[in-house]
Amino acid sequence: NPIVHNGGLYKRPFNEAFEETPMLVAVLTYVGYGVLTLFGYLRDFMRQWKIEKCQNATEREEQKDFVPLYQDFENFYNRNLYMRIRDSWNRPICSVPGAKVDMMERVSHDYNWTFTYTGRVIKDIINMGSYNYLGFAQKAGTCQEAAAKVLSQYGAGVCSTRQEMGNLDKHEELEKLVARFLGVESAMAYGMGFATNSMNIPALVGKGCLILSDELNHASLVLGARLSGATIRIFKHNNMQSLEKLLKDAIVHGQPRTRRPWKKILILVEGIYSMEGSIVRLPEVIALKKKYKSYLYLDEAHSIGALGPSGRGVVEYFGLSPEDVDVMMGTFTKSFGAAGGYIGGKKELIDYLRTYSHSAVYATSLSPPVVEQIITSMKCIMGEDGTTVGKARVQQLAENTRYFRRRLKEMGFIIYGNEDSPVVPLMLYMPAKIGAFGREMLKRNIGVVVVGFPATPIIESRARFCLSAAHTKEMLDTALKEINEVGDLLQLKYSRHRLVPLLDRPFDETTYEETED
Amino acid sequence: MNVGVAHSEVNPNTRVMNSRGIWLAYVISVGVLHIVLLSIPFFSIPVVWTLTNVIHNLLMYLLLHTVKGTPFETPDQGKDRLLTHWEQIDYGTQCTSSRKFLSISPVVLYLLTSFYTKYDPVHFVINTASLLSVLLPKLPQFHGVRVFGINKY
Repeated sequence: NPIVHNGGLYKRPFNEAFEETPMLVAVLTYVGYGVLTLFGYLRDFMRQWKIEKCQNATEREEQKDFVPLYQDFENFYNRNLYMRIRDSWNRPICSVPGAKVDMMERVSHDYNWTFTYTGRVIKDIINMGSYNYLGFAQKAGTCQEAAAKVLSQYGAGVCSTRQEMGNLDKHEELEKLVARFLGVESAMAYGMGFATNSMNIPALVGKGCLILSDELNHASLVLGARLSGATIRIFKHNNMQSLEKLLKDAIVHGQPRTRRPWKKILILVEGIYSMEGSIVRLPEVIALKKKYKSYLYLDEAHSIGALGPSGRGVVEYFGLSPEDVDVMMGTFTKSFGAAGGYIGGKKELIDYLRTYSHSAVYATSLSPPVVEQIITSMKCIMGEDGTTVGKARVQQLAENTRYFRRRLKEMGFIIYGNEDSPVVPLMLYMPAKIGAFGREMLKRNIGVVVVGFPATPIIESRARFCLSAAHTKEMLDTALKEINEVGDLLQLKYSRHRLVPLLDRPFDETTYEETED
Repeated sequence: MNVGVAHSEVNPNTRVMNSRGIWLAYVISVGVLHIVLLSIPFFSIPVVWTLTNVIHNLLMYLLLHTVKGTPFETPDQGKDRLLTHWEQIDYGTQCTSSRKFLSISPVVLYLLTSFYTKYDPVHFVINTASLLSVLLPKLPQFHGVRVFGINKY
């Protein structure tokens, strides 16, 4: 394993690997998609000429001469590929999604066009899909009792925005706690994690500013960047040479036509990227940010609570100071078992956001029982509730991560991402294996999340495992045994243990972006 | 928005031709087509080569220059709905490496076909017409051009 030490910036080895697709597998994947396309055209032909019954939604006879509302071709993938394996998604669960979950069994008699419930509940499926990193998705325990008490005291909803009547003392308590947890001066909490990004980036940057965003940033960051009206430039995923080149070009050339200096340069990165399992190279990003005098917005949706010796996130994982990150954003959805998001930073920044953020002005504030859940779980992680449960959970997650990744690599699967990230993508590549993997794992009582094209690049379909502190070693061993069997059955063990050394990966100069007209 | 999607790519169709292994898959599929045609007993070699050339160009014209839009919904509000796949490659940037590859491969096939048909006049006319039909739409000047309004919407 190549160990990267960048002139003392990294205090611990940074092991990230993205093994290249084997050429044979890539060619077979294209053949697979080609065959599916051919059959798609055939079935569409049969449906059009009424040889086969069309089960898709169609317009009424009276409306046939109107201009169609939707284009047929845009639905091609949905009709012919997604429908065939649709039973791997949107599975209805009927218990709290902790380490084990109950699922309602459903069958389809017309190849996934309609589902019927048999009435049976499949019990105790090992849940490898929930973002339950610290295991706080429980229905009993201190968090639940505290939240129930607050529910009876404050009610279920606030029914107002933060700036009108929705600012409860619970919110103030939460924000002080979050600020203490992160080690920043002040913090603000919002009702929805997605809305935290999409509503606050427009408040921070505007026209005449530059946003440098990572290739694989989440939809909320992309939406926020677009809503702000700033110029967006995309750098290659986690590639510091690409980022530095963009920064240099931006400062040397200024704004596109007028050559004026940019008002602000904001770098958008995430702590852990949830589809790749990679961790941002934060020491290098901070060094670049300081050198070129730009601002850093760090989205710790998946890394808060999941990384770092005491769960304080990616900043603690690298041993850096939280003052270097200008805007620390995160969500309470993943590790804290609640809902909502927060932004932490300097007091002036947060005071500004309290006035100008769209979420603060227009969106309802967090609901009180949810706030109590966050407060209790955060105190538990920090150890302030008097027990060592929090610390034990963080350590258990780190052990689970290391163990699971090591065992999967030993078995011969291709796993993407950093050694320490609790998100483990296992590569499947071929479209048929996406459906097969999901179904085989469900037969063996393990629930996984699978993703394919167009959500991922065309040859990189994957199954994504999210580890949790609530998974015991026995559960992981059972899961690993089943994954091993399914891997042998579906021939998923592609790894040739030939990792692309990170320093040798050539930086491709070519980026083609969608130009705005 | 790109909800549930792992990247901020607005139209994944633009990157398909740059993916790893697709050029090899393309060459292999042309090879397989040729072998299938060769195994039909009553076609002579020149006829097989002309058929390979014509069928390859026909399929290329259909897939790259006739079918418009994307087979999945994209978050760009339909900007690419009226563009063929060729026009969508790399968001319309001209003379990228995939475009060069896809322009050169019909020419290579044409040269091989001309050799194997021994430069017979009838085969020449058919092959040249077929080559022109697939080379002209690839010129940068023809980006977004719809002759006589055919295939406009």
